[in-house]
Amino acid sequence: MAEKALPRLTRLLGIMTYVHDQGEATFTELADHFGVTTAQIRKDIVALWSSGLPGYSGGDLIDFDAYLYDQDVASIVDSQGVTQIKLSTREAVALVGALSSLLASGAAPDVAVSAYNKIRAILGAEDPVTVVPTAEVDPAVAQSLRASVVAHKVADIEYVDASDRRTSRVIEPHRLVAIDGVAYVECFCRRAQDYRMLRLDRMVSVTAGDDDVVAPPADETGFSLVPQFEATVVAARGARWVLEDLPGVVLTDVGDDVQATFGVADLDWVADRLLAIAPYLRTVAPQSVRDALADHAHAVLATAAS
Amino acid sequence: MATDAAERLLNLIIALTHAPRRMTRDEIRATVAGYTPRPRGATEADAKKVDAAFERMFERDKDDLRRMGVPLHTVTDPYDGADIGYKIVAADAAMPSLDLTAAEVAVLGLAAEYWQGATLGDDARLALTKVASHTPHQVSEPLPWAALATASKDATSVLVDAIYERQRVRFDYTSVSSGMARRTVEPWRLVVRGGNEYLLGLDVDKSEARTYRVSRVHGTVKLLGESGDFERPATIPTDIFTASTGGSAIIALRPESGHVLRSRGTRLEGAAAQDLAVELVAIGATASEVEGSHEAAGWEIFTVPYDHLDILRDEVLALRGAAKVMAPEPLANSIVDHARRALEVAHG
Repeated sequence: MAEKALPRLTRLLGIMTYVHDQGEATFTELADHFGVTTAQIRKDIVALWSSGLPGYSGGDLIDFDAYLYDQDVASIVDSQGVTQIKLSTREAVALVGALSSLLASGAAPDVAVSAYNKIRAILGAEDPVTVVPTAEVDPAVAQSLRASVVAHKVADIEYVDASDRRTSRVIEPHRLVAIDGVAYVECFCRRAQDYRMLRLDRMVSVTAGDDDVVAPPADETGFSLVPQFEATVVAARGARWVLEDLPGVVLTDVGDDVQATFGVADLDWVADRLLAIAPYLRTVAPQSVRDALADHAHAVLATAAS
Repeated sequence: MATDAAERLLNLIIALTHAPRRMTRDEIRATVAGYTPRPRGATEADAKKVDAAFERMFERDKDDLRRMGVPLHTVTDPYDGADIGYKIVAADAAMPSLDLTAAEVAVLGLAAEYWQGATLGDDARLALTKVASHTPHQVSEPLPWAALATASKDATSVLVDAIYERQRVRFDYTSVSSGMARRTVEPWRLVVRGGNEYLLGLDVDKSEARTYRVSRVHGTVKLLGESGDFERPATIPTDIFTASTGGSAIIALRPESGHVLRSRGTRLEGAAAQDLAVELVAIGATASEVEGSHEAAGWEIFTVPYDHLDILRDEVLALRGAAKVMAPEPLANSIVDHARRALEVAHG
């Protein structure tokens, strides 16, 4: 089957409502609006035309203006009362969940609030998802970055990276992205001369710059770190949830333990992850990862003993 | 001739909307385009086969209609409770205009990407088609925003389904206190906070309300039993993060380090730091510990609120010695323990 039933059914109903509201619509406009080809729209109109009440003759059927149809324009003569179906609870949840994640990140555009409220109203007391906002992103940081992104201008930022190094950078911001409710900016970093995803909650300050954004957006969302070598870790299964989060990881169950094989792009970052699950660890390879892990552990112990 | 499933569903909706009172299964099968009527003169075995095929198709169609939000009323026999017919009330089914602006529709479009491959992504796409039905066409540039869910996204979809259907779930879960165990839960609500998703629900085995971090659910979430198997409590506590799990730690930081903890915490200076020193001695800290952590020794002292001790522990560990936990003691101990265990593994 070329297309699943529900997407097509929803579009068939949508065409009826849209054409009814607008009076008439060209096939090109319908194709654009519903994201399919004009050939598909033509098939949809033909399908609608032969649908209707049991009996399926004369006045039982949905009817379009035949003259306009020949000119690739849809205009309804008889709708048989067919119109779009209201949002299901799950559909509303799917929209609200995505928006609330964006809102919780602190980086959402203003219009997300009103859109959220309108869809949220449909759910009433049934809303299965609640987003508790966190105030970790400085509103001034979010506001400046939003303005820079919309204006396609560079921004000067003070940034603290995951290893706690504070740097000043000029970035060309392309897009604000909320990943699991945490806000990032996808940008080209002029300091690194490469694409970066920077966390908004790690920005100490953002100042709008005058330069235009010139680097094209990166091809894909994500972190552009290239793995240098492969590491293998065996740990008790209690650590599985951390190992599952390692980029590109392959997990295998070994008895009651789990073995994780993954590419290492940033040795210190990997050592941090492993230190966090140290009580679960059984073996770590290769030696370079063990050394990094030992370095971090020594530093922590030295401070604790001071 | 087999009709396209979407066209069959469309004809079913039209028929049930126009039925004066109800349509029985037999009426639907005999009259609605797309269903195969029982063949005349068929052998009993053949008839049975065709009947079974119709039943399967009709059940799937009913599920599809309900999934997309069609309020399908089942008329039951008042005497034996058997399903005797179906009806759709047009006024209950129709999509109202939500008065969304073009900008609002555009921002809703981000939801299609958000759930990625998970089942809620399909629902989001259906929702966007529905929303578009009532919105004039407008050519718009792609928005410079995106939202993505990466953590346990399949678990999230199943949990949202289960909450909505009021259906029990079973999953493997790692907790800080008791390691990995299989949990059976009546799911009440999903709470998203910061970068974390939490499930609130009743732990069926313990008969107690519990909070689960969705990222700590591993493998697949299994749906158990039937829809509507339990009632949600009238009020679900959402202040779960304050009293039971959260708290406040006292952490000494090296100058120019621990910026994330600094931004979340409050600096203790002068009199406040003095008071702290007194307090620490009162709770059993040795004089050298207090002295060693004092400002004079090059440390800056902060109180840092936290939701989960283990998240704060990971943050302190990642600072590689640039942070020293002064309180609470279990946090300080668990940091030392982690470092020691790491050394054991590193040295083989």
